[in-house]
Amino acid sequence: MRKIQITNGMFVAMVVNLIFAKAIGVTQGVLARSIGQDMWVATLLGTLQGAAMMYIAYLAIRRTPHLNYIELGDLLLGKWFGKLIALLIFVFYLAAFGPVMITFVYHLKDYFLPEAPYWLFTSSALIIGSIGCFYGLEVMARIALIGSLFIFLLNTLIIIGSMKEFDIRNLLPLLEHGFPLTAAASLHFDADWALAIMLAALILPFVNGAAAYGRKLSVVSILASGMVIVIWAILEGAVLSAEVTSQYTISCMKLARNAHIGNFLQRYEMIMIALYSFSILFEVMFCIYGTSVSISKIFGLKSHKVMIAPVCIVLGLFGTWVVRDHFRAITYLENDWPRIALPIAFSLPLLMLGLRMLMRKKLNQAVQSQHGES
Amino acid sequence: MKRWLCLFISFIPLLLLTTSCYGLQQINELAIVTAVGLDVGKAPGSVKLSVQIIRPADARGQTGAPAGGTGQPIYSVSAEGDSIFDAIRNLGHFTSRRVYWAHNFLIVMHESYARRGIADMIDFFTRNHELRMNTWVAVTPDAPDEVISTITGLEVVPGQAVDRLFRNIQIVGLAPASDMRSLEEAFLSPSVQPVLAELKLVKRGISNKKPEEHGSIKQVELAGAAAFNKDKMVGWLSSIETKGAMYFLQKLKSGIEVVSCPQSKDQIVTLELKDIRLKVTPSYANQVPSFDIRMKLQADVVENDCGAPITEIREATERTLKEKLALHIEKAVARAQHYHSDFLKLADVFRNKFPVEWQTLGTDWNAVFVQAETTVEVEATIESTVLKAAKQEVK
Repeated sequence: MRKIQITNGMFVAMVVNLIFAKAIGVTQGVLARSIGQDMWVATLLGTLQGAAMMYIAYLAIRRTPHLNYIELGDLLLGKWFGKLIALLIFVFYLAAFGPVMITFVYHLKDYFLPEAPYWLFTSSALIIGSIGCFYGLEVMARIALIGSLFIFLLNTLIIIGSMKEFDIRNLLPLLEHGFPLTAAASLHFDADWALAIMLAALILPFVNGAAAYGRKLSVVSILASGMVIVIWAILEGAVLSAEVTSQYTISCMKLARNAHIGNFLQRYEMIMIALYSFSILFEVMFCIYGTSVSISKIFGLKSHKVMIAPVCIVLGLFGTWVVRDHFRAITYLENDWPRIALPIAFSLPLLMLGLRMLMRKKLNQAVQSQHGES
Repeated sequence: MKRWLCLFISFIPLLLLTTSCYGLQQINELAIVTAVGLDVGKAPGSVKLSVQIIRPADARGQTGAPAGGTGQPIYSVSAEGDSIFDAIRNLGHFTSRRVYWAHNFLIVMHESYARRGIADMIDFFTRNHELRMNTWVAVTPDAPDEVISTITGLEVVPGQAVDRLFRNIQIVGLAPASDMRSLEEAFLSPSVQPVLAELKLVKRGISNKKPEEHGSIKQVELAGAAAFNKDKMVGWLSSIETKGAMYFLQKLKSGIEVVSCPQSKDQIVTLELKDIRLKVTPSYANQVPSFDIRMKLQADVVENDCGAPITEIREATERTLKEKLALHIEKAVARAQHYHSDFLKLADVFRNKFPVEWQTLGTDWNAVFVQAETTVEVEATIESTVLKAAKQEVK
C-alpha cells in the first residue's frame, strides 16, 4: 500500500483540470482552422477515442494496480526498459510544457499584460508549480478538486454571458467536410487527452481502489472532461462562428471578452481568468511532477523532489523559447506537439498492455515474489 | 524547518511580482475613449481618426455639472495617419494622456471611408485587446467627428447616448444592432455580407432658451442601414428596406406599423407588433435557389382613428397590415439583390439545407443570389385592443 492516497473524485478532477485549460481555447482554435463549425463534433469524437485509450491505459496495469508504468516496465523487461519508459514520459511532459505555456502565457500576456516580458510568466508559473509539486500529489489533487469547482463556475458564467448571441445556424451544416476529415481533425483534441493518459500512467497506482474502480474512473474522467470542454466548442461555434474562432490563438478569450450578463456586468474576463487559473496552474504543476518523477527514475533517485529545481530550469528555458515567437508557437502547437504526443500516448498503453499479456507468467511470478517479500 | 526555509526562499522571487510595475495604467493618466470616428484623410489612402475622450471630472453625475473643471464632459480631437494605428500615434502629439479603448461605445465611419473598404478597421479593432466586442459600429453620411461630439438625448457623454439608442433597437427596430462581434462574423463569413447601422445628424432638439427655434439643435438619429459587399459599402437602405431587413437580422421584441383605415385612406390605425417570427425555407430547382419567407406575428391596436369599432375593421386592417409587411420584406430582398449583397443571411439558410450544392454555388453566391426567387407570406392577427373592450359598441 502506498503512503499517498488519492480519492476517486480527485483523480477525475485531476484529469479534467489537466485537459480543460488548453482544450477550451487553444485546441478549439486549431480545430476551427481544420474543420470549421464541426469543431464540437471533432471534440466529441476525440472524447470517445480518449475514453477508449484511457480504458486501455487502465487495462495495462489492471493486474498490478500498485505499479505505475515505469515500475511495471521494470518488472516486465528489466530496469533498462523502465528507464526507457521514464525517458518517454520525460520527453512527453517536456514537450507538453510548450502548449501549456502557450495557453498560460498568451492568455495573460496578450490580453492583460502585453508589456510584461515572457520570462515573467514562465518563471512565476514554475515557481508556483514547483511549490505545489514539492508538497506532493495530495496537495496537487486538492488543488485540482478546487479547480473543478472553478471550472463549473467558469462554465456557468460563460453560458449565461453568451446565450443571448447563440445562433444555432452557425453550427450547421453538420459534418460539412465529411466524417473522415472531422475524425482526422479530432487528433488535435487527442493530443489533449494524451496528457490524461500519461497522468494515469503515473498516478493511477495512488488512487484508492484503482483495481476495483479503475475501469469506471478512467472512462468517466475523460467523458467528464469532454462534457465540460464541448460546451465551449459549441458556444464558440454558435456565438462567434467557426470563421471568427479560427482567427485566434486563444479563441476562448475571444468568447470571454464578448460575454456579458445584461448591460450591468460586462468585460468580466478577468473573473473568468481567475477561475481558470487553478486549472492552468495544475497543468504546470503536473508537467513539473511528470518530468521530475521520470527523470528521478532515470537517475535512480528515491525522491523526485531533488529534481524539481533542475527540471524547472529546463522547462522554463523550453517554455520561454516556445512562446517568445508566435510563429514558432503556432507551428509547434499544430504540427510538432501532436506528432510527439500522439505516438507516445497511443503506443505506450498499447505496448504495456501487449507486454503484460505476452509476459503474463513472468509478471505473476514477479508480483507474487513482491508480495512474498512484503 | 527545512520545509519552511524552502517555502520562504520560494516566496522571495514572488515579491518582485507584487510591485505591479508591468502594464501599470493609472486611471488619471488615461484618455478614456467613448466614441471613435473614422474618415478618409486629406492624403490619398490616409485615415482621419477622431476620438471622443471623456473628462471624468466634468462628466460626473446626471448633468455633468462642472466641479472645478472646464464644464465640458468630453474632449474631441482628430488626427490623420497612413493607418489607424499611425493616426492614434499622431494623436499623442497633442493629447496629454494615453488613449485607452476599453470603454469605447461606438465606432462611426464616414460613408466615403466605408466605400473605400473597412478591412483595416475590422483588423485593427479585433486585434486590439482593450476593445469590447460589443462596441457598436455604424456608418454616417455626415462628418464622423461632428457625430461623435454631438450631445444627444439626456446623456452627458454622446457615446453613451448612442449606446442607449442601440440598446433600444429591439423595440424601435429602425436600424440593425451592428457591433464588432457581428461585423467580424459577417466579414469573415464565406456566405453572408455585413450590414451596419446608419447614424446621421438631424435638427430635432429644441433649445430651452429659444423654444421658438424648433429644431435648432442637432441630434444623432439612429435609423437606416448601410449594406456591404465584403469590406466595401455598396449603398444605403431606406427606412422601409431597413424595417424589412430587421425581421431577418434581429429578434425584435416589438414594432410599430401605421396602416390606413379600410373606409378612408386619410384615417389611420396604429398597431404594435408582437411575437414576431420569421422563417425562411430554401429550395433548389433548375440550378436556381428560391426562398419561401413566412412571417407570423400578433398585433395590438394602440391607436384607432378610424371612427369605427375594431370588430368591424379587424379583418380588413389585418389584410392591409399583411400587405404592408410583405412589401417591406420584398423591398429588403430586392435591395439586397440589387446590391449583390446577401446581408439578409439567406445564404446561411441555403448552405445549411443544401450543403452539397453550396460547395459549387457558394463560390459565386452573390451572383447566384441575384437570380434567387422569393415568395413572401405574412400571417398577422390582431388579438388585442389593449385597455378598450373588443366589442361592437366600442370604437
